[in-house]
Amino acid sequence: MDAISITVNGKAQSVEVTPDTPLLWVLRDTLGLTGTKFGCGMALCGACTVHVDGEATRSCTTRISAVAGRNITTIEGLSADGRHPVQAAWLDQQVAQCGYCQVGMIMTTAALLAKNPKPSDADIDDALGGHICRCGTYQRIRAAVHEAATKHTAQLTGAGETR
Amino acid sequence: MSAGAGKLARVSRRDFLKVGVAGSTSLLIGFYWGDQSQARASADAAKGFAPNAYIEIHPNGEIRLIAARSEMGQGVRTSMTMILAEELDADWSKIKVEQAVATSELKYGDMTTGGSESVRSSWDPLRKAGATARDMLITAAAQTWGVPASECSAIGGSVIEHKKSSRRIEYGALVGKAAALPVPKDVTLKDAKDYRIIGTAKPRVDGRPIVIGEAHYGIDTKVPGMLYAVVARPPVFGGRVKKFDAEKAQAVPGVKKVIEVQAVEMPPLFGEERPANSGHQHYLWGGVAVVADSTWQAIAGRKALSIDWDPGAGAEESSEKQRAACAEMVKGSGKELRKIGDPAKAFDGAAKKIEAEYELPFVAHTTMEPPNCTAYVHDGKCEVWAPTQNSGGMATALASALGIPASAITIHITLLGGGFGRRLNIDYGVEAALISKAAGAPVKVIWTREDDVRHDFYRPMSHHRLRAGVDAQNQVTAWMHHIAAPTTDGVYVGGDVPDTGGTELAGTGLPSGTVPNYLLEASFLHTAVPRGYWRGVDTTWNQFAVQSFIDEVAASMGKDPLELRRELIAAKTKPEAGGGDQPPVDVARLRHVLDLAAEKSGWGTPLPKGRGRGIAGIAGWGTYLMYVAEVTVANDGGVKVDRVVCAIDCGQVINPDMVKAQVEGGLVFGLTAALFDEITIAGGQTQQSNFNNYPMMRINDMPRVEVHIVPSHESPGGCGEPPVPSIAPAVANAIFAATGKRLRRLPFQTQELAKA
Repeated sequence: MDAISITVNGKAQSVEVTPDTPLLWVLRDTLGLTGTKFGCGMALCGACTVHVDGEATRSCTTRISAVAGRNITTIEGLSADGRHPVQAAWLDQQVAQCGYCQVGMIMTTAALLAKNPKPSDADIDDALGGHICRCGTYQRIRAAVHEAATKHTAQLTGAGETR
Repeated sequence: MSAGAGKLARVSRRDFLKVGVAGSTSLLIGFYWGDQSQARASADAAKGFAPNAYIEIHPNGEIRLIAARSEMGQGVRTSMTMILAEELDADWSKIKVEQAVATSELKYGDMTTGGSESVRSSWDPLRKAGATARDMLITAAAQTWGVPASECSAIGGSVIEHKKSSRRIEYGALVGKAAALPVPKDVTLKDAKDYRIIGTAKPRVDGRPIVIGEAHYGIDTKVPGMLYAVVARPPVFGGRVKKFDAEKAQAVPGVKKVIEVQAVEMPPLFGEERPANSGHQHYLWGGVAVVADSTWQAIAGRKALSIDWDPGAGAEESSEKQRAACAEMVKGSGKELRKIGDPAKAFDGAAKKIEAEYELPFVAHTTMEPPNCTAYVHDGKCEVWAPTQNSGGMATALASALGIPASAITIHITLLGGGFGRRLNIDYGVEAALISKAAGAPVKVIWTREDDVRHDFYRPMSHHRLRAGVDAQNQVTAWMHHIAAPTTDGVYVGGDVPDTGGTELAGTGLPSGTVPNYLLEASFLHTAVPRGYWRGVDTTWNQFAVQSFIDEVAASMGKDPLELRRELIAAKTKPEAGGGDQPPVDVARLRHVLDLAAEKSGWGTPLPKGRGRGIAGIAGWGTYLMYVAEVTVANDGGVKVDRVVCAIDCGQVINPDMVKAQVEGGLVFGLTAALFDEITIAGGQTQQSNFNNYPMMRINDMPRVEVHIVPSHESPGGCGEPPVPSIAPAVANAIFAATGKRLRRLPFQTQELAKA
């Protein structure tokens, strides 16, 4: 096991794990960042989504060796105060039921809006079609994405990912 | 759901509330969270009063509600807080809800969370507890000021006012005095017109931690010295470990131990007494656990295991054989479960006979948080951190499996990343405890998604034969329904067929009592495939068959499906909600949601070609719900559900936004199964493994959902399960309306709809 260097939520980390270890388990077991969830282990449900250099990425199938030296953002680092426009919209729309999948949904939405501030319904389907919510909150997720894109535009543009 | 109707002990009314002092000066009110006349647990009766919920009001004004029910996304912590805050006239911002810790001393009595019961069972006790505390605080304020209590009133925000002298005082300042007062014998509950909190769309009290990643689910548990484990379980149901070679697994970096988990026979889930030779049982099948420093190392270790399995009795089972056996059984007669009039004679003499068969498969729960449990067994004690709906059943099973007294067990109930009935089973808790005991350390056992899909307690498969007779006056005179299915709970291990106890029957109700001659009979499939409670339980299979068949009968009679339902749900009829603990049906309320759904959906207005509307609904759990689904069927047979209109009467609504959320979510749960899901068995094993071959509805599949709530001050009905069962038949009926083709098997075999 060699030490692998990554930057997580702006902080440099050195972790000693086998190179094939998925980023998900490094975040959860090694670094104690449990906001990122395990759902399927095969990039089928999106619960484990984090940002790697700003790109929404499935951490359950991303080997740690593939992200050495990269910038990783998890839900814990999405905003300094936990009031990222997407998080605010999620609360406004009362999206969550059990909430387990929502962190992944929020991370994908934040990455989507950073690139496409006014997504259409089809854009939302494309971005979030890889995610599963077993509680069935999809109608509210769609509403929250639209709300984040409209009501909170000022915060989104330029704000990017605050830390 | 009738689950949880275990042993009941009577508790007299005077025992309902108890007041004490918490700490030095806080007011503590303990009460029963649940039907106070039916607190479970024999220990209660022996020990006298054992409340299962507490309210604490502290001098700083903070109010704590310690609640026994598990939060699994239904918003129970919020609805409970709202009910309490209403009667207590409390400052909303100062109420905190905490999860009770389960000990097998049954301090909190029945903590089972299921059956769409949490609001229903706590509505009265929470209001009474809140009103009692408010009364005592008013008395304390009156004494403080030396004025009559009748001149003082709670004005909301945890403040009491004496209007005449314009004086106000906060609850926090009164708790010491209030705690010393006698408990009032009777309290007056608020009139519904005076509600300030109940009936409003309050946001979830626990919403924020979810969106910032700080919500703590079972899988997030970390305790000092904790190791991680995954388990290789017998691929065939009923199989056992014959022998295994751990050498390569031991060589994987980070692997600490490889442990054989023994098979364990487990007690019934809800403390119920099973008749001897009852024919079904719960097992932990055992397996081989790999314990490591991290989850990934444990998974890597498991891959390196070499295990020789004894396949066991189930190895010959397959879905084909099971389906064929059920199809054969419904041809004959079964165990008679409900009979009205002379159905056979009425059917034989009918002018028109209609007959159809329906099929549903095993389906899995697939909670987004897979099963997991952290356990620490040491020094004759067992401490467990578990996402569970059934801590009581888990405690009983732990005591039995570990051979320690119940008093040595503590269960910390975490948040649940979905429940849907999967976490009424307690297998994963017992397994974790056995592994911790053998490892001599705290261990978190994580199930991968493959483990979850292959080792669930599935919603039973079923086969339905329905027959109806229509007389010369075009009236339905006979209705016969034969269900062939495994029982809902446990696995069959030989012996007599169990008493159905009603758990196979709910949702058969609508035509029963509306048709003069009626027969319901059942035949039972013996299988080693484990079954369990799946959101909606028996209604999910029975409703698909019954509500589809009503439409088939209507088509045969030349009637509009809505019109036939109006005739069936007439004032003179007495439909039954089904067996178990289902409350009686109020025909007027059922009829009203039928009419409301029809009106709001534009029933009868034309739709473009290839589109259709279908209606289906249910009375159950004290709630009345009707769907109208609108679908588009493409030329290739693809079905898109465009819009669903729901009319729901669930009595007094605590939080309309949460009722809507339950309808949206329950509909998705039922529709996912209708469109996609089927667990199939080959060689005694589950063939599916993950979301690639056990797919889920996704955002692009989501129909537009409109929920219309009937204003009501009737007792609250349940909302978790009622939205599940009727969506499949509503969509099947809509597909028929769009195409003239009837799909009688779930998941929908849409290839049958493709145009040549």
